[in-house]
Amino acid sequence: MAGHSDSSSSEKKSGEAMTDVPTFSAENLQNNMKVIYYSRTFMSITGGVIAGIFGFTGFVGFIFYFLVMTITSIGLIAKAKFSVHSYFDSWNRIILDGLMGGLMSFVLFWTFAYDIVHIF
Amino acid sequence: MGLGFMIGVFGVLILSHAAYSTIQYRGLLKIMEEEFSGPPMNVVLELLLGFFFCIWAALTVPGNFLSIHPESEENRIVSLSANLDFMIFNHRAKVFPLEIDMKLKH
Repeated sequence: MAGHSDSSSSEKKSGEAMTDVPTFSAENLQNNMKVIYYSRTFMSITGGVIAGIFGFTGFVGFIFYFLVMTITSIGLIAKAKFSVHSYFDSWNRIILDGLMGGLMSFVLFWTFAYDIVHIF
Repeated sequence: MGLGFMIGVFGVLILSHAAYSTIQYRGLLKIMEEEFSGPPMNVVLELLLGFFFCIWAALTVPGNFLSIHPESEENRIVSLSANLDFMIFNHRAKVFPLEIDMKLKH
């Protein structure tokens, strides 16, 4: 009989037979997006500190940021064991999500580390 | 979780040590009145090492990916949420004999 929903229940997002939308568990997708967000934020902060210590100024720093994000994306895809479609519904999520928010954190910690190391 | 967290803390410590070394290097350059062109080689190596430790921690600490297919192995249990629409009260228990002697039992 129907049990009470506990934390491990998976909510279905179902489609109709006409439009043939594939079903997936939205709660697990949300968990995966949260994991990506945390990973990207931490890597943005780390990349910012490294860019500040190196002494990058101007455009080179942003190039470094996109390099760090590419490495992070490759790491996340490797964590998903290269079968992205069993954990996400589209490629855009694992590649593009959190990029702009991470850019803000990167610039913050970049200027912070640069000030500490090179100016004071 | 514990090991990944420790590696992350270790990576952050390595990065702060690299920052401190660079500050000292800049102080030295100020004394010798030279321009700062880049951190010394050992600091670069230290930064790379700290970077790899932080990457490793960033990928392992936040948690695992869960499969989103409904028919995969770990998603087998389906349960409906406690929804009033699915609660029925018109079931077989009404044929149980009435308990006449219903008192509050202490």
